[in-house]
Amino acid sequence: MSAGVTGSTSTTESDLLLYVAHLDVGYGDTQVLWDVGMEVRRGEVVAMVGANGAGKSTLLTALSGLLPAWGGQVTFEGQDIARARAEHIAALGLIHVPQGRRLFAGLTVEDNLRLGAYTRRAGTERGIHEDLDRVYALFPKLRERRKQVAGLMSGGEQQMCAIGRGLMGRPALLLIDELSLGLAPIVVDDILAALDTIQKREQLSVLLVEQDVQIALERAHRGYVIENGRIVIQGSANELLHSPAVRAAYLGE
Amino acid sequence: MQPIVDWLLLGSFYAAVALGFSLVWGIMNIINLAHGVFIITGAYIAYQVATNLHLSPFLALFFSMGMLFALGWIIQYGIINRVIRGPLLVTFLLTFGLELLLTDTLQNLFTSDNRFINSTIEGAGINLGSAHISLVRFISAAIAIVLTAALAAFLSRTRLGNAILATGMDRDAARLMGIDIRQIYALTFAISAALAGAAGALLGQMQAFYPTRGELFTLRSFAIVVLGGLGTPWAVVAGGMVFAFIETFLPVVLPRVGVGYENAVAFAVFVIVLLVRPTGLFGKAFYSQ
Repeated sequence: MSAGVTGSTSTTESDLLLYVAHLDVGYGDTQVLWDVGMEVRRGEVVAMVGANGAGKSTLLTALSGLLPAWGGQVTFEGQDIARARAEHIAALGLIHVPQGRRLFAGLTVEDNLRLGAYTRRAGTERGIHEDLDRVYALFPKLRERRKQVAGLMSGGEQQMCAIGRGLMGRPALLLIDELSLGLAPIVVDDILAALDTIQKREQLSVLLVEQDVQIALERAHRGYVIENGRIVIQGSANELLHSPAVRAAYLGE
Repeated sequence: MQPIVDWLLLGSFYAAVALGFSLVWGIMNIINLAHGVFIITGAYIAYQVATNLHLSPFLALFFSMGMLFALGWIIQYGIINRVIRGPLLVTFLLTFGLELLLTDTLQNLFTSDNRFINSTIEGAGINLGSAHISLVRFISAAIAIVLTAALAAFLSRTRLGNAILATGMDRDAARLMGIDIRQIYALTFAISAALAGAAGALLGQMQAFYPTRGELFTLRSFAIVVLGGLGTPWAVVAGGMVFAFIETFLPVVLPRVGVGYENAVAFAVFVIVLLVRPTGLFGKAFYSQ
């Protein structure tokens, strides 16, 4: 990983991986996000929590370039990506693991993982092989099922495959949308533990988008609460977990 | 014996006819109404190359494939990509317009006279018991099967082929992998057109052709792909075999009803297959929408 951003002067700026300011996004005529500002630093796990329909997934879709931004600024590794195309952003190392896994259901697990490394050019077969081993070491279930068609696996295995596919792109920042959705708590714990291992080992930055506020804030360094398309609260994960407003609104107290 | 030989050779040839049509439908959800005229264009290119350069028509096939590949790329990248997210009807009408345009262009260039590519091995063949196997037809069938196998291997074993399949299954997820779907669509359409070009070069050696002949092959491609199903090139061979079976054996089984009714019966079978097995006889799950 390259250290620092060209031309930056302060250390805080070079620590900044993703910087979002005054972001407006919508579908058709309907605006969904208003004036969103947020950031992710290197090696940091950030949680984005909020109710269903608050705009969390829309934010990720805009960051990864699937949905064009209406206005505002998005900077990744010092590059302006607010108007970049999704395929270009993925190649920069900002990798989005979308809601509902979105695996290539008719392809095998290993083909799915290899497609995660698509942006790496030919002649890198050895590197891809090493990364496959790395992902298999993290999720041994995937190695057992590597020749299986992805669409026929359980939800948990599919989520492992989706995250593994994201890791194959050698991300600097991994955006994970609703990791826990529809999965048994024990499976979620397994996947989060694996993610935790790789995050610490490789100083990976992660933006976790979750409806399950507890799960997200327990693992994150910092967090944002999004409501009706606006960021309403931000702070350290600990602060948010103990904030009366968050507890009342999202933890049923 | 002779009908069996005829059936297998015709069925293989039909696979070549419908292979590209199936690819574009499965990956891009486009019913390409210009597919038949691509085939006829390929036949004219092979005709020109074979007559003017005095090459074997089977070598002329490579010229057809190359030129159709380029044409397909330009059409997809320059035109269809602009409306690819539109409703099915938009691409349907667009390819219909392309079909008219190309057919009229062929008519202007080559008139509507019948053409036939004279093969150097015309009339040659092998006698197998009571059956005669024409060498031209045999080589054509072999080329059709080789093209099917090559396409199947390319799609399932190469990085680019996998990217094409992935784009067909979920184009937004494909973009998140860094796949430029505009390039993938152009490549897919170009491969499809090149396969049509190959089919045209084979067709021209077996039957007479003229510019409006393409419509028949678009229709047949449609029936063959629905019969066989989407998702793997081998399903196209299966669909081709079913269609050719009806066409070959109907006149044998029902000599008085048969002649001229092959199409009606083939499409009746087609409707029944659609009712009983909407994914086609050999379609694979998870492919296409």
